[in-house]
Formats: sequence, structure tokens, C-alpha cells
Amino acid sequence: MARIAGVNIPTAKRVPIALTYITGIGPAIAHEICTAVKIDEQRRVNDLTDAEVLAIREYIDANLTVEGDLRRETTMNIKRLMDLGCYRGLRHRRNLPVRGQRTHTNARTRKGPAKAIAGKKK
Amino acid sequence: MARSVWKGPFVDAYVLKKAEVSRESGRNEVIKIWSRRSTILPQFVGLTFGVYNGKKHIPVNVTEDMIGQKFGEYSPTRTYYGHAADKKAKRK
Repeated sequence: MARIAGVNIPTAKRVPIALTYITGIGPAIAHEICTAVKIDEQRRVNDLTDAEVLAIREYIDANLTVEGDLRRETTMNIKRLMDLGCYRGLRHRRNLPVRGQRTHTNARTRKGPAKAIAGKKK
Repeated sequence: MARSVWKGPFVDAYVLKKAEVSRESGRNEVIKIWSRRSTILPQFVGLTFGVYNGKKHIPVNVTEDMIGQKFGEYSPTRTYYGHAADKKAKRK
């Protein structure tokens, strides 16, 4: 069991795949990490040596924002927009799409499940 | 697509002129502008603009965070009071 970046314990998967279990690390960054610390991408997490795990940990600490820090950064950015009183902030406040999508139909991801309209008959 | 960097930020000329005048006079009054499309520049920080929303001039106090955005972003053009049906449902 390898513990990288706090609570994450990726499994018996290939190293780049296992790294994507960390919030803020996708396939591209996982690949970047593997090349930076010179780990063959075909190897599994459970046959890494302690030194290699340490190298990965150090690389992430030095170069990336992941997990809690990243989440905090995103919520801070959204909060900044909301406090500013700009259009994007207003959309965030109302839980509506921020980037100019239509809301006549769709937009269910932001608006949540459809609410029945009282008194509307077919 | 984003605007070319070599052009610099877009600002209507009259906005610049009005800002300059009010800065020199030193009085803190609302500068009425209709140009929602103008970029907010660093030299506008601290001034108050009245940005037209099609009906009224909405006072916008420019702060540092606003630099690079457009004036229109701070003056919403639509009013939405919610649906009548929603309100009725809530009352019951």
C-alpha cells in the first residue's frame, strides 16, 4: 500500500493509472510525473520501491497543487467571483450555467432534477 | 477566440477621457458611461462608474480584482423575479 498526497491509497494498478485517483492528477499529469521520476509506465504500484514512492511524493509536493489545496483554490476562485458582483458570480449564486449556455431547456447539471410545475395541464 | 495581444485592451475613447477628467478634478462622482464593451483598466481603480444597463446607470465601484473584465459584467441587463407558479406553490 502506497500513500501519496495525503489520504490517497492507489491499488495494484499501473502507476500512471493509480496516480489519477488523486484529485488534480489526470492522465496527462500522471504521465508527466512518471517521466520526471523515471518510472516505467508498465510497472504496478505494489512493486515500486520505497525510494520511488518517495520520489513521486516529492515531485507532487514540489510542483503540483492536489487534493484539499486544489479544492480550496477552486472554491476560493468561485467565492471571489460571487463577492465581486460580476455576471459570472451572479450565475454561480443562482446555480445556473456560467458560460452562456441555454437554460430554456437542458442545463440540468446545474439546475438539478426537473421540478414539476403546479397547475400545468396537458 | 481571444483578442490579439498586440492590439492592447479595447476601451472606448470617451471613457478614457471622462476617467482622466474625473481623476484630475479629484471629486468622487459617478461617471456615467454607456460603453459596456470597454475593458476595465488599472487606472480606473478607485473610480465609480455608472454603467448603463439599457434602463439605468448602475454604480460600479472599480476594484483591483475587476481589471481585465468588461464594464458590462457588472451591470446586469435582465430582471428575473421567478415564476408565478413557484411562488404559489411555496405559499401553500
